[in-house]
Amino acid sequence: MERLSQPAGAPGEPSTSAGAENPRGPTSPYVDPLGEPFLHTRFVPPARPATFLRRPRLAAHLDQALDTPLTMVNGSAGAGKTLLVADWAARLGQPVAWFTDEAGDQGAGTFWAYVLHALRLAGVPLSARVGCPADAGRVDHGLLARLAAELSELERPVLLVLDEFDRQPARQVAEDLEFVLHHAAPGLRLVLVTRTEPLLPLHRYRAAGAITEIRDAELAFTPGEAAALLDRHELRLPDDAVRALVERTRGWAAGLRLCALAARESGDPEAYLREFEAGRSTIADFLLAEVLKRQPAGTQDLLLRVSVVDRFCPGLVRALTGRDGLEPVPAGLHRQNAFVEDLGHSWYRLHPLFAEILRAHLRERAPHLEPELHRRAARWLRDSGALPRALAHSAAAQDWEFAAGALVGDLAIGQLFTGLRADDLAGLFGRMAPEAAGTAAELVRAAHELSRNDVERGLSHLRRAEGRLAAQRAPGAAERLSCVLLETLAARLTGSPCRAERAVAAASELRHEVPARLLEEHPELLALLLTHLGSARVWAGSFDAARAALSEVVGHPGGPATALPRQDCLAHLALIDYLEGRLESAEREALAAKAETERFGLGRPAGAALGRLVLAAVAVERDELDQAEALLAEAAACGPAAPDPVTAAGRSLATARLLLARGDPQAALEAAAPAVTVHVASPWAELGSALVASAAHLAEGRPDTALKVLEHVPHGGEPECTAGLAWARLAAGDRDAAIGLVDRLGPPGLTGTGVSVRAALVRARVAEEAGDVATARKLLARALLEGRRERLRRPFLDAGPGIRRLVDTPPLQSLAAGWLTPGGPRPRDGGAAEPGPLVVEELSGREREVVRCLGQLMTTEEIAADLYVSVNTVKTHLKSAYRKLGVSRRGEAVRQARARGLL
Amino acid sequence: MRYEIRVEGHMSETLTKAFPELDHVVMSGQTVLFGQVVDEAHLYGLLNRCQSLGLRVVEMRQLPE
Repeated sequence: MERLSQPAGAPGEPSTSAGAENPRGPTSPYVDPLGEPFLHTRFVPPARPATFLRRPRLAAHLDQALDTPLTMVNGSAGAGKTLLVADWAARLGQPVAWFTDEAGDQGAGTFWAYVLHALRLAGVPLSARVGCPADAGRVDHGLLARLAAELSELERPVLLVLDEFDRQPARQVAEDLEFVLHHAAPGLRLVLVTRTEPLLPLHRYRAAGAITEIRDAELAFTPGEAAALLDRHELRLPDDAVRALVERTRGWAAGLRLCALAARESGDPEAYLREFEAGRSTIADFLLAEVLKRQPAGTQDLLLRVSVVDRFCPGLVRALTGRDGLEPVPAGLHRQNAFVEDLGHSWYRLHPLFAEILRAHLRERAPHLEPELHRRAARWLRDSGALPRALAHSAAAQDWEFAAGALVGDLAIGQLFTGLRADDLAGLFGRMAPEAAGTAAELVRAAHELSRNDVERGLSHLRRAEGRLAAQRAPGAAERLSCVLLETLAARLTGSPCRAERAVAAASELRHEVPARLLEEHPELLALLLTHLGSARVWAGSFDAARAALSEVVGHPGGPATALPRQDCLAHLALIDYLEGRLESAEREALAAKAETERFGLGRPAGAALGRLVLAAVAVERDELDQAEALLAEAAACGPAAPDPVTAAGRSLATARLLLARGDPQAALEAAAPAVTVHVASPWAELGSALVASAAHLAEGRPDTALKVLEHVPHGGEPECTAGLAWARLAAGDRDAAIGLVDRLGPPGLTGTGVSVRAALVRARVAEEAGDVATARKLLARALLEGRRERLRRPFLDAGPGIRRLVDTPPLQSLAAGWLTPGGPRPRDGGAAEPGPLVVEELSGREREVVRCLGQLMTTEEIAADLYVSVNTVKTHLKSAYRKLGVSRRGEAVRQARARGLL
Repeated sequence: MRYEIRVEGHMSETLTKAFPELDHVVMSGQTVLFGQVVDEAHLYGLLNRCQSLGLRVVEMRQLPE
């Protein structure tokens, strides 16, 4: 099972996925950040046709874009915006980052992934630290701040053109852009090409003279320009005819272009145009029909058929028309400046305005052809590796069986759970018709329901898929592997570790049957599989086996596709460390999980709750109860609780322990029993709630009940369980059993501090109660030294009056002072004992960093920039550090922190 | 809600099919598209459709029920 996600092939064979040799590194040209091979066409400006007319007055106005942060070219469809900017940019002699928005790109995360890619393609040296969004719907603010900071340090500003920005529906994107633009100045020059006014605060830019605006009126052709344009189409008209034409079309570029084309082919252009001028038809509509009907039949057919796709190339044209020999047609149309734009590398697209009108014609001429065209496009695109486009077209064709089959067959089913496409895919397959049948369709339905945490429905679809697989003579490996993934997830969610093991045992054979290329393209599949397996093993209490699976995911280089499982795995590793009594490592891993979510802007995925719960539990052990409470609240804010038993148990444990520490045994008792339905009980979860219950009963004066709840606890002799159990027994008065348990523990050193400190406390208390104070002191001294390292306070605070008295008197007093009991290390000169605040609350990691920066005489703004946080965040950290240190000024804070050894 | 949208020029029969949910009538240099509009989203969608078909909207108003 281990090494499940190693690429197939002989050991030692160079892996193609290794970063250094990977030809598809982030800086190589024409790579889609999301894996679609044809997307490069969206990062290049369209080529200008031979008939393109350069208009010096507009180019001169556009030159001002180099001096203003924001430029907006704003005009109606077909006003010539894109070509104007493309032509201007091409002649600048400097790289330009170009990105064309497209309908169907939902969400800020996707948008920024593309923009980062466009910037890198233009040679902007962005460091890897900037990160990359992994959640389609949102982008982390820190990422934008890092991006802005790096842009602001560029020697010469980068020019970023966002074409068809009106297609970007997310309101958040405008705000984010404004933020980056503001903070990246003077490193960024943004050019928005759009049909509608963007939701940026344009008035502010106008008032500050920080915007270059070119609008419809300026884009309109003057009679002189119109004459020059017609001349390029070999049409020479008298001045008044040109003027009349400009009046009729209002100088609209698309109208003039179509006029020229229609007139040229009419035999008598002048008469034709006179007639057109007198007419009252809507311009584009009428003219397009005119131009279309004058094209050869084959060309007409081609134009109508390609109107269903965003972009096309000869291969796709062949698939859509079912005919060969049409390859030169798009290039010819582009030369004529009719309908078609050239995107380079033999890719073309229809001008968006004409595409809309052509689709109306297609529907009229061949009403039933549209679904068929979508179906053909889907098949061609899938064969060419463009799965997302293929899925969109098969959805448009209502061809759900094909869509599901393509998703499963490409091993892409994991994308429903993680990565930039998750939302899009969920939306797409959420519309899947109930009639769609087949194994793949059932698998996709199961995945869709499970991703929405509907376990019951997910399971019933999964059963159906399994039934179909069993009935097939030779089921496909991809289908079976997808099924294994879902089965493992279902096992995790229902708390049935055996089922997870059974499912995964099948996977190690299957992974050699599926193409290695697919596994490499979809690292999320195996990452998710191992994550779910690891979680199921954690539930079962098999921590070593769980660690093996989880570490394998964490050990692989991360990317947006696997960010979610990675953070899930880190949180699980943190939980294991916490349960084994290793607070520092638990904290480190939980913070790493948090960093992973921040780096990829995952927001607060359900998995993030677990990491915060571990941090809360650690804080309870350290007696930092306010912090624990805040973390529990954060965990609760991580969205609706997934029916994940590990998280549920972690939540009830952390909550119950906090309530106990707060002195509310009744509430702790209620919180200790997690409300999940599972197949197999988890030993650590059961023990944990029994220990809380025992302590609660004891606190309420029921020692007998306290002992009773410990009787039926499953206990396999794991040290972490033994120590806790021994303590509970001793506290409840069963001294012999407690000693028996502690004696079974190995030497300290091998177990986590949480375990060895508790064991030492059991022994110390037994010794103290037996009157052997010297032994008790010796044991306590060791426990204090160990506990101090991890700031483990809880066991000492719970240890009862006898132990506390010993800790409060010399010689142990000095070991406890400063972290466990009031007072810092005593001054050597024996001067008057400083009254000092009571227990000094520990500074959090961030607070310590901020105070350290203070020590270097940095200003608040500098600290903010240094730590990549906002000024307000720095102020918050400062305020809470001041409070903890009991000071009100910077210098004092640094002095106090130094004196207490907090720095 | 019932709305009417007036666009400049005479729309072809083909193009009016891009608005299957609306009736239309052509008059004095304008085309009037009218009919039931489901909600705001639909309304803005119609405006968008006009824009992407290169139509110039002259007037748009809600009709009495």
